[in-house]
Amino acid sequence: MAGHAEGRQCLAKRLASTFPGKGERKGGVINTISKLTKTCTLRLTVCKLYFILSDKVANGGASMWCELCQGNFFDEFQMEGVAAEHNEIYLELVPENLSRALKTAHSAKAVKIKLTNKHCPCLRVAVELPSLSSSSRIVTHDIPVGVIPRRIWNDFREPTMPDFDVSIYLPVLKIMKSVVERMKNLSNFIVIEANLSGEMNLKIETDLVSVTTHFKDLGNPPWASEDGCQSSAQGRNLESMAEARIDIKKLQQLLAGQQVNPTKALCNIVSKRIVHFILLHEDVSLQYFIPALA
Amino acid sequence: MFFQHYCWTAVSDPCHKEKELSLPCKLIVKAVLPVFRCANVLGRNVEKCSISTSPSDHHITFQLLCKHGVVKTYNLTFQECDPLQAVFAKHMCPNILKVHSRLLADVMIHFPTSQEEITLSVTPVKVCFKSYTEEDTDFSRTMVTEIHLSPEEFDYFQVGVDSEVTFCLKELRGLLAFSEATGVPVSIHFDRCGKPIAFSIEDVLLEASLILATLCEAQKEADSQERCCPQQWGSSETHPDKPSGDEPNSTDISKHPQRDGNAPTNPVAKQEVKSIPRVTGRDVTGRAGTATAEAAGEATEAPYQKFHSLFFGAVSYKEKDATGHTFQSLATASDTEEDLGPLQSSPVL
Repeated sequence: MAGHAEGRQCLAKRLASTFPGKGERKGGVINTISKLTKTCTLRLTVCKLYFILSDKVANGGASMWCELCQGNFFDEFQMEGVAAEHNEIYLELVPENLSRALKTAHSAKAVKIKLTNKHCPCLRVAVELPSLSSSSRIVTHDIPVGVIPRRIWNDFREPTMPDFDVSIYLPVLKIMKSVVERMKNLSNFIVIEANLSGEMNLKIETDLVSVTTHFKDLGNPPWASEDGCQSSAQGRNLESMAEARIDIKKLQQLLAGQQVNPTKALCNIVSKRIVHFILLHEDVSLQYFIPALA
Repeated sequence: MFFQHYCWTAVSDPCHKEKELSLPCKLIVKAVLPVFRCANVLGRNVEKCSISTSPSDHHITFQLLCKHGVVKTYNLTFQECDPLQAVFAKHMCPNILKVHSRLLADVMIHFPTSQEEITLSVTPVKVCFKSYTEEDTDFSRTMVTEIHLSPEEFDYFQVGVDSEVTFCLKELRGLLAFSEATGVPVSIHFDRCGKPIAFSIEDVLLEASLILATLCEAQKEADSQERCCPQQWGSSETHPDKPSGDEPNSTDISKHPQRDGNAPTNPVAKQEVKSIPRVTGRDVTGRAGTATAEAAGEATEAPYQKFHSLFFGAVSYKEKDATGHTFQSLATASDTEEDLGPLQSSPVL
């Protein structure tokens, strides 16, 4: 980063395997994200890491916001951002590369991640693996990243919760995934509809066939509305379905990436506009927005 | 030892009295695979497998004698060929490493399956495998991986000369899968860059050798002047667009102790490439299949030598394509794409 206008950016993170769960979980998150998108933005702050995909047309309008607390994943975390007031770093990277680099992290003695600049800025992931001999095996992966200049940081702000019509808990993801995967063979689009009585339908329709899968007793999350901000959901007929027709591939990718069952999984539907998925794990939260198509 | 009964009837041929009487032939691997598919099922049902040849009409017959009187017969056509002798003296290599295939597999897992070439760098105190990068590699798009090992991890470690050799990883994966299946350790013999590198496995029942060319480092300087792009030869030839059962071509399996010293034989098509072929930059075009056919034909001296290599197997494959031979096979190769035999590159690695 010689001559880089953004100033010093050095970063050292050590992800230790004394808590083996950590490496695995981080690998899990990265795996999920690598299935959703080819490139994404990694935002580093002092306490948190964010994986962001903004809703550009190239992504088919889908966007993602994934947040994790660095303390849950790293034993040591040092970061120096652009400047004191803006102690953050934004990097563009290919999550697949990071996923691959961390593939063996679960059996590692230690994993270190550094931001360096050799031929170009890259994340150097150094994995220390046990070996039969006295000295360990060291695997280093240099993952090229792009440093995102501060002037466009605004593009990567947290998306606001949409004013949804219905909010509902998702069915068991495994079942939902297998249903969607089979439907994917028949159609490119799927309609998600749900109501405030805990009922959800997944529908596809083609010239030859239409298939609907019904789920019930899913439960609706109790969004507290002190000032009645969730007005479109208030006073809504409990049986009335809100629906959105979305690209089935996006939904399938989201479900395929979930290896571990989330603590909470729900979606908010804005009729005919957008579906907002929220998946919460112990230490990671993932939000995924899929726009509705005509 | 491998066979219960092995009978060879030499066909007398007065003109070839001096030559060893053998039947060099080649078969399409894809046609043979279905015969031995589903090893579990075979183990349960098949009592005996009989392999016979009738040289006169170029047939080789596989007969599976199964339980309950069921007999499955496969008649495959073969084509006679002139095997190419690889002139490579393993025992003259200054660097020899011996290690269990598991270690190599654990190392290779860190490289993406799309990684074509890797570089092995050794000194007496360390070993390093890294992804191969050229002068003009776009580092902003390429992920580079390096693995450092200690010599203690190897069963046998001899480094006579510090060297850094670059070879085709894809080919190696095939041999590693095979080695893991047989459980036999792998020996690596090599020298300085430019000289071939040999991976071999050897036990009582079988011997297999994979000899790969390595990139000649000196060429790197000449390249910048010449402005040619020296693509790896290894990848181009043996990985055409269509997947096929014919890879790896450079691997040779001899199912009985070798009778002719340590030079592995490899059944190869017509062309006897005895000289070391020169591959010119413009010929080697990445994955274009025609590259080798031209290169092999070009026994003439190119102004610069790119690779000191022993070219066989790969050459034959392209030759076959180029001449468009069709093999009559009575055993239809059913869909074997998903059915990975040990000789195909395994997705596990």
